[in-house]
Amino acid sequence: MLRLIATRFALGLLTLLAVSVLIFICTQILPGDVASAVLGQQATPESLKVFRAELGLDKPAYLRYLQWLLGVLHGDFGKSLTNGRVIIDELAPRFINTLFLASYAAVIAVPLAVGLGILSAIREGRLTDRLANILTLIAISVPEFFVAYILIIVFAIKLAWFPSLATVDSDMGLGMRTYVAFLPALTLTLVVMAHMLRMTRNSVLSIMSTPYIEMAFLKGLTRSRVVAWHALPNALGPIVSVVALNLAYLVVGVVVVENVFVYPGVGQYMVDAVAKRDVPVIQACGLVFAAVFVTLNTVADILAMLANPRLRRRR
Amino acid sequence: MDHSNDKRGSGLIVDRRELMAGAAALGLGFSASSARAADAPKKGGTLRLGMEGGSASDSLDPRTYADSIPISYGWQLWNGLVEIGPDNNPVGELAESWEAKPGAKEWVFNIRKGVPFTSGKILDADDVIYSLNMHRGETKSGAKDLMAGISDIKKLGSHQILITLSSGDAGLPSIFADYHILIVPNNFTDWSKPDGTGAFELVTFEPGVRVVTKRKKGDYWKKDRGHFDGVELRYIPDAAARVQALISGQIDAANRLDAKTVSLVMKAPTVNVVRTKGTGNRFAWVALCDTDPYQSNDMRLALKYGIDRQKIIDNVYKGFATLGNDTTVAPSQKYFAKDVPQRPYDPDKAAFHFKKAGMADAKIELQVSEGAFSGATDCAVLYQEAMKKAGITLDVKRVSGDGYWSNVWLKAPFCAVYWGGRPSADNQLAQTFLSNANWNDTHWRRPEFDKRLLEARAELDDAKRGQLYAECQKMISEDGGMVCFAIGDYLDGYSKKVMGAAPHPHYDMCDQRVAEKGWFA
Repeated sequence: MLRLIATRFALGLLTLLAVSVLIFICTQILPGDVASAVLGQQATPESLKVFRAELGLDKPAYLRYLQWLLGVLHGDFGKSLTNGRVIIDELAPRFINTLFLASYAAVIAVPLAVGLGILSAIREGRLTDRLANILTLIAISVPEFFVAYILIIVFAIKLAWFPSLATVDSDMGLGMRTYVAFLPALTLTLVVMAHMLRMTRNSVLSIMSTPYIEMAFLKGLTRSRVVAWHALPNALGPIVSVVALNLAYLVVGVVVVENVFVYPGVGQYMVDAVAKRDVPVIQACGLVFAAVFVTLNTVADILAMLANPRLRRRR
Repeated sequence: MDHSNDKRGSGLIVDRRELMAGAAALGLGFSASSARAADAPKKGGTLRLGMEGGSASDSLDPRTYADSIPISYGWQLWNGLVEIGPDNNPVGELAESWEAKPGAKEWVFNIRKGVPFTSGKILDADDVIYSLNMHRGETKSGAKDLMAGISDIKKLGSHQILITLSSGDAGLPSIFADYHILIVPNNFTDWSKPDGTGAFELVTFEPGVRVVTKRKKGDYWKKDRGHFDGVELRYIPDAAARVQALISGQIDAANRLDAKTVSLVMKAPTVNVVRTKGTGNRFAWVALCDTDPYQSNDMRLALKYGIDRQKIIDNVYKGFATLGNDTTVAPSQKYFAKDVPQRPYDPDKAAFHFKKAGMADAKIELQVSEGAFSGATDCAVLYQEAMKKAGITLDVKRVSGDGYWSNVWLKAPFCAVYWGGRPSADNQLAQTFLSNANWNDTHWRRPEFDKRLLEARAELDDAKRGQLYAECQKMISEDGGMVCFAIGDYLDGYSKKVMGAAPHPHYDMCDQRVAEKGWFA
């Protein structure tokens, strides 16, 4: 088991390295560079030259990459090319905000989705099942900004219970943060619920058609006991991985929701950096996102193995 | 002071009462209660601004400013030498007065005395010279071109400088109203700790999220400004989010309201909408005059007669724009050529000129992108329809907004562009139409025009100067490659308790100085 974790960790690091190379190559392929993006329509050939020399963009690309890599290995993500601010200082509070919003949504969404999924499986084909399915499907079928605007109209404008601006800052206490970020968290909950709920329901149901479950029924057990004690542990593998996938989405895929609610997360920071071709910032955000993905997937695999001993065997 | 007397010269600056009259004509509800801006200003309160026009990569260094949010915090922290007054004329800010020697080649500027920086240092000529030189020579500054005419800056006394130009320019003071040219202390380099003469000092700078400032201790050197205790500027790039925040009272002011929904915003009982007519972005198509088929002026005239400007304004801008007359000079600007007739939509004339150009099978392809300006594609499609009536086939090609300014603009033979308002008609013309201008995006090069413009610059007689500028605009309109079809209105939204937010002919949000100009009722 330990060996396996070590292998996964090493592979994860390799993935991160590959990601950083890929991002760097992609930013080089994009038309324009940071100087032309910042100066935009005001750019003149002379001012571009001065700006580029100031930023060291006149050096060859591979050299800039190696320099950056060396910095990162020493724990230094460097400075933003556009405004010279230390990236880690800008990124850290935003990343905390992003994690806060993601965990907030996850705390609501995961128990709700898994619980409802199991309930749907127990009451397959009945009203509860149908209703849960239809409602979550509706929520996932409309674009997230639409869900967000609906929530704003109802809760921020008509009822005026929650603010539509979810700008959290470092001076806010936990209670205030929870209040301010309620609408974005609710939006995200609605967006990720359907996937998890349906996966839980279906993997439980697919186990339900196996002979050992039939055996359990023949013993005279109730449906809820069969689902909870006999089917669920075997269905946990796919459920855990879909939960992990959705958690990762909550961290890396929420830029639209951030934008609508003006939430200061990493998403908008990265989009701004891409628009301005601020390569070190893009790299840092990309690395953080990739690290979240790798970690969550590894954790999911390990949990699945803990739940199901058969997966621990090497074939 | 009665606010209704505020209707100025050209009558194109719309104050709140005019706007309300307009709104009534449009059938929109409007309350008249807060139209009085004349009440004596009160001190106190924190102004919460919600704005579009900035990003996480914004910096405090004024050389890199290019959008509304940096311009706004720039004016909170610093001052310029000159500002543009409500009547479009330059007014002294840190420059107390100035005088041009005959020929307008040499200028003496007297610097205001006793103005303190945040650090306590008192402003003198060295600070001003250092600040101006930041935008000259080897620099990344966006104001480099504006300052190119300055050949030397010399100190005459502790509060007096002499500026020498390579050729005469009677409009020099207006240039110093540019938002890049902020006055910092001599040898100032650490932009993370801004030191300015503005009404406010920096508290928090989180680009992409918020910028917080507070009023400095003691009296502001401008007696009648700087009333708020502090300003909290939030980045709200989403137009809908901005409007919701304004209506629900989470912010006190918002810029760039969406023309499509502004009529709904006006219905909100807590909100005032301030419309500044025809001072916003100039929306245009530009054809390269040295590239076929646009080498023929008949072809260019066909392009100009073939566009239904009013229809575009009514449909795309919902009426919140002014007709453009094929130059970037707006009717709200001083020296706008009033005598050059507004070019109408005339399919017959367009067809006539198209035939005369003799290129019936020429391919006319217009490259547009939402990255050029929002709504560009819709405008192009309407243009296509209008051209069809003249029997001209116009191909509209949508291109990516990403990298538009470096890959399409200045390179494609016919494409979309917008131009922002500049401090004066002279800057506006020089920037795009002089033969050697970096941004001559129509490749229209006429020595005759260059000569006329330089003559106008050096002319100190205002009437003669206006005449020369008018001739310049006429030449562009009749011969140039620019089809400037509309000039946008600025639409700002304010909570009804924000006072002193009158429209300004230069920029939106009171020339982006609402933080120091406004107060709470």
